[in-house]
Amino acid sequence: MSKVNTVLGPVAAEELGIVAVHEHIGYGMPGSELDTRWWKTPEERYAETVPKLRAFHRHGGGTFVDATGICNGRDVDYYRSLSAKTGVHIVACTGFVGGDTALPFFARASVEYLTAQFTHEIAVGIGSSGARAGVIKVGVSRGGRMTALDKKIYRAAARAAVTAGVPVLTHLAIDAEPAVAIFNEEGLPLDRVLFGHADDGVNHDKTRHGWIAAQGGRVGFDTFGYETELADPPFWARPRKDRLNHLLSFMSDYPGKALVSADANCSPLGWPGVRGHTVNYIFEQLIPDLAEAGLSATAIRRLLADDPADFLTIRN
Amino acid sequence: MTAENGMVNTVLGPVPAGELGVVSVHEALLSVLPGAEYAFDIRLDRAEVFETLAAKLTDYRAHGGGTIVDSTGMCHGRDLPLYEALSRSTGVHIVASTGMGPQEMLGGYFLTPQTNPPTPWPAEKFADLFAREVTEGMVVPRAERRGAAGLVATAASRAGRTATDESLLRGAARAALGTGAALSVRYGSDAVGDLEIVLDERLPAGRVVVGGLDRRDAVAAGAHREIARRGAYVALDHVGAADDDHVTDGERVALVAELTGAGHGDRVLLSVSATGKSVGERGNHRPFSYLLSAFIPLLAGQGTDGADIRRILVDNPRELLPAR
Repeated sequence: MSKVNTVLGPVAAEELGIVAVHEHIGYGMPGSELDTRWWKTPEERYAETVPKLRAFHRHGGGTFVDATGICNGRDVDYYRSLSAKTGVHIVACTGFVGGDTALPFFARASVEYLTAQFTHEIAVGIGSSGARAGVIKVGVSRGGRMTALDKKIYRAAARAAVTAGVPVLTHLAIDAEPAVAIFNEEGLPLDRVLFGHADDGVNHDKTRHGWIAAQGGRVGFDTFGYETELADPPFWARPRKDRLNHLLSFMSDYPGKALVSADANCSPLGWPGVRGHTVNYIFEQLIPDLAEAGLSATAIRRLLADDPADFLTIRN
Repeated sequence: MTAENGMVNTVLGPVPAGELGVVSVHEALLSVLPGAEYAFDIRLDRAEVFETLAAKLTDYRAHGGGTIVDSTGMCHGRDLPLYEALSRSTGVHIVASTGMGPQEMLGGYFLTPQTNPPTPWPAEKFADLFAREVTEGMVVPRAERRGAAGLVATAASRAGRTATDESLLRGAARAALGTGAALSVRYGSDAVGDLEIVLDERLPAGRVVVGGLDRRDAVAAGAHREIARRGAYVALDHVGAADDDHVTDGERVALVAELTGAGHGDRVLLSVSATGKSVGERGNHRPFSYLLSAFIPLLAGQGTDGADIRRILVDNPRELLPAR
């Protein structure tokens, strides 16, 4: 049976529906929890988050993949309550957003220990919650090049992905050559890796989209909605039309290799967030834009449901 | 106001300095290497942690100890509700600290913030974060503030002070200056240089304790003499350590005698740097009471008189800790 780990237990891949493959319930850099400027009460957190997930569900959204790393405010018990109350499947991750978000205990750990950490969270559960991770998050630290710690995390993720069968999501697809080399060395097929944030305003022209796809990798156009049309766009914003055209041209060159998402925060934990940007951009803007560009309903369904289901399905 | 009447912020509220008794200034109660709280193979049994720490505090008190300063700062396992309950149940005063360092211990929020470019935090932001833990209360992450911090604690990297270490030192010094709290600096590779950074912020030397001065490299450099000469407190804070890094207790006794003999008896502090409960790293499992049960008899046996001993254990911390 094809199945996927969600925070409420395994579900059949056929049940996932429309998938937002790279999102955040709430993201904060480690240490932000000490700075009261970002604090919100639990009441405020639920009030900001539940309506967005309910709208996602109403729009036809089935599954929300949370890519918040171990030290970035990941809170699986909270996700379980959100999933149970909204009907949205939530997939949690193990792993780290980048070496620069791994706290000293993990920064000092060996590849073997990190592999054991990831494998345990996938096969046994996260903390005492019993919820199993469904994806592994890795990423490139700020600065544009993979650090030694980034590479150690990628290698551990590759080993855990081979053993436990879940896919890998990357934060950034720049400096992809060392990443691809590590995945190859560890025997992880590259269609088990989504090289993410290949579309954002800072990194799209530094990312070798075609090369990654030619190696067999999947490419994440997963910052949809961070666009210069916003009232107060972030530094990684990009004009809407540029991103859309970029996706369409990539899809025509490399069919089946793109996945899309919005990388939005329902309720950011350690930064202001971006006003007006939610996961529901997928329904409110992206799907209409794709339809207007001439994509068939079948093609849209493939991009948002079939391909992500294939990607998320545990393979071992 | 004399120091005896000054108030010291403990986890249960301000306490007159005269009530502190014997103080160990550099200790750790619950010490968690940042990140270890998420380790798949570590489970903390809160009741068990309480029992372990309560036994150690009770033992410390039985040997004449009055106050433990948890000098681990704000993100190395500090657990305020636990410390409040421990202090209530054991009768030992507990002073908790704000601050952080060295750089390796910091989360990405401070080192690679979500700005373009990701510039590490400057001194001013650290100063504000630490000062508010004194004026508004120490944080329980994303939940609430509790009692006021009784000490600002920071440290520089063993491999040498980094730019962020310098920001931490300056920020901690500004927080101490602005709030009146004392400052603890665990030096990196250059004790006098680290002290000079905080003095450059116009913090009086008498508000600073420099830790780690019983490390072999510090002793070889004569840092204890120079730190005392500048008027800062010299913490010989690895009492009982018998390792490659630190001098022996015998040598430590000689350091105390040397400083006392040079007229710096009012600048000496002693502590064990024990970790009552260590999570995610090896820790130092020597009892807090080792200072009183083993080292002080050794010191007395080598000729340090009772008045000097009392000054080091009681009077000096009573001068240092009250907010000025």
